[in-house]
Amino acid sequence: MPLILQYEYMQRALFVGLLLSVIVACLGTVMVHKRLSLIGDALSHSSLAGVALGLLLGFNPIVGAMAICIVSALSIEAIRKKLGNHSELAVAIVMSTGIGLAGVLSGFVKSSADFNSFLFGSIVAISSFEARLVMILSVIVLLAFVLLYKELFYISFDEQAAAISGVPVGFVNAVFTILTAVTVSIAARTVGALIISSLLVVPVAAAMGIAKSYKTTVLWAIFVSTVSTIGGLVLSFYFGLKPGGTIVLLSVVFFLLFRVIGYLREKHSVKKGA
Amino acid sequence: MKFSLKRFISSVLAVSFTVGTAGLLCSCRRGFGADAEGKVKVVATIFPMYDFAQKIGGDKVAVKMLIPAGTEPHEWEPSTNDMLMLEEADLFVYNGAGMEPWAEDVLGSVKNKDLVALEASKDVTLLKTAEVHDMEDVHDHEEEHDEEEHEHHHHGEYDPHVWLSPKNAEAEMEAIAEALIAIDEANADIYRKNLEDAKKQCEDLDSAFREALKPYEGGHIVVAHEAYGYLCREYGLKQIGIEGVSADQEPDAARMREIIDKVNEYGIKCIFFEELVDPKVAQTIADEAGCKTQALSPLDGLSKEDIDSGRDYFSVMQDNLKALVAAFE
Repeated sequence: MPLILQYEYMQRALFVGLLLSVIVACLGTVMVHKRLSLIGDALSHSSLAGVALGLLLGFNPIVGAMAICIVSALSIEAIRKKLGNHSELAVAIVMSTGIGLAGVLSGFVKSSADFNSFLFGSIVAISSFEARLVMILSVIVLLAFVLLYKELFYISFDEQAAAISGVPVGFVNAVFTILTAVTVSIAARTVGALIISSLLVVPVAAAMGIAKSYKTTVLWAIFVSTVSTIGGLVLSFYFGLKPGGTIVLLSVVFFLLFRVIGYLREKHSVKKGA
Repeated sequence: MKFSLKRFISSVLAVSFTVGTAGLLCSCRRGFGADAEGKVKVVATIFPMYDFAQKIGGDKVAVKMLIPAGTEPHEWEPSTNDMLMLEEADLFVYNGAGMEPWAEDVLGSVKNKDLVALEASKDVTLLKTAEVHDMEDVHDHEEEHDEEEHEHHHHGEYDPHVWLSPKNAEAEMEAIAEALIAIDEANADIYRKNLEDAKKQCEDLDSAFREALKPYEGGHIVVAHEAYGYLCREYGLKQIGIEGVSADQEPDAARMREIIDKVNEYGIKCIFFEELVDPKVAQTIADEAGCKTQALSPLDGLSKEDIDSGRDYFSVMQDNLKALVAAFE
């Protein structure tokens, strides 16, 4: 057995990292096609407000984070529809609200020790409870993604046309908005906000550089995010690099690489055509 | 008089507005207040400084702690209210050695000409911060450390947690006593007397540590962040920090493995965590190596409940000693 697998924390990091990178790539594909690529940042910031609220009102801060994330995500969805061409503003507005609320509420939290312990997530320090939570979440997200795949495909292609042809657009959007919110709130505490908000976007952006269809975009995004996660953990294990940053940077390398490949391929086919 | 709903509502509003505003003003006011009249006004940065100043000054001083309880002092910055308090104060006690990197800036912008600033660690032989990843060389480094002088006090160059050795605590209290005597000659005898009492307690604490830890000399402790350099130097222990001297960084996977291997190699039975650092990482290591976790306080961020319930330097250090002994037993 290779050294890296002899440690339980690494087994857990690889396992949970793998699960999360698959579901986050799926959710990311949906969100990027909806032009909500910064939703991960917005939600992870809003979740702070939920943590503060939970500490203040005396309920579980993780539940608070989840609730606020769901409310924020649904607000983004609602505002997005009203703004038409400027749908990305919805993310900015909800993020500002979340940060503002977290700032004000955290002023009332007496001990920053409590607060900090609910914000911190590290992929190399995952508790068994968190690992189980991620497992359950992954099953739900994957099921939803597979079952609603056709509808998703329609919606991301043309939301209005999909609605006309009878796709329950509102329902599908709501399901994925809520799933993204729950995923971000859990993953931010499990592996850290940096990993989760980046993996929602960068692998999808990389995949779009070479993929020619919705399906291949999803598959390439999963490929990029899983390889980056595992690669990042391996590099961190053997070379002492910070895992979060390494994972994110690897996915950016894939983005650049895939864009170059896509560019070269296009040039090649243009030449062929001429 | 006929009851008028409108008038009733407006008077209720007026009263609640007045009360609310007054309440707001009171809660915002953080100055020294009336009971500080006639006393030496001291602003101390972190809990150990606050506690030491209180011990030496007794009821002749009014001490305010600048950094609120439960806040990581490395991250704190002063508010405008804090600046106002400094304008009123006679003595500003800070630990120094890089603990409060903002102290110089803050002092530079205070107009209060009579304010005496005291770096309490000025007479302590400072330890240089060791590279976290150089655990193998802990031995060689330690010898060098002993000869280090403290000419420059740049942030990050020295380990600021000097008070965790009772001897250094004694030196810091001596410095505080000196400063108080210079400011308030009339009560010099009281300060000297308080210093004598505190010194006695420091010596008792020191011998308690020395005696209890004697059997475990050369032993290793795993701590949340490397704050215990002075304590380890004094009593012949070696610390393995999950983080370096400053807390709040994410560990990398290689560092985790290194620590787990050391824990297994040395048969360490306990991983220490501290209140202000998330215990998740400590817990992960403990789970992996099959040992327990235990709190060890670096004292800089004692919670408000602890302070209100009368905990002080000596009682927390006694608890630390118990925790250390329990970890080796």
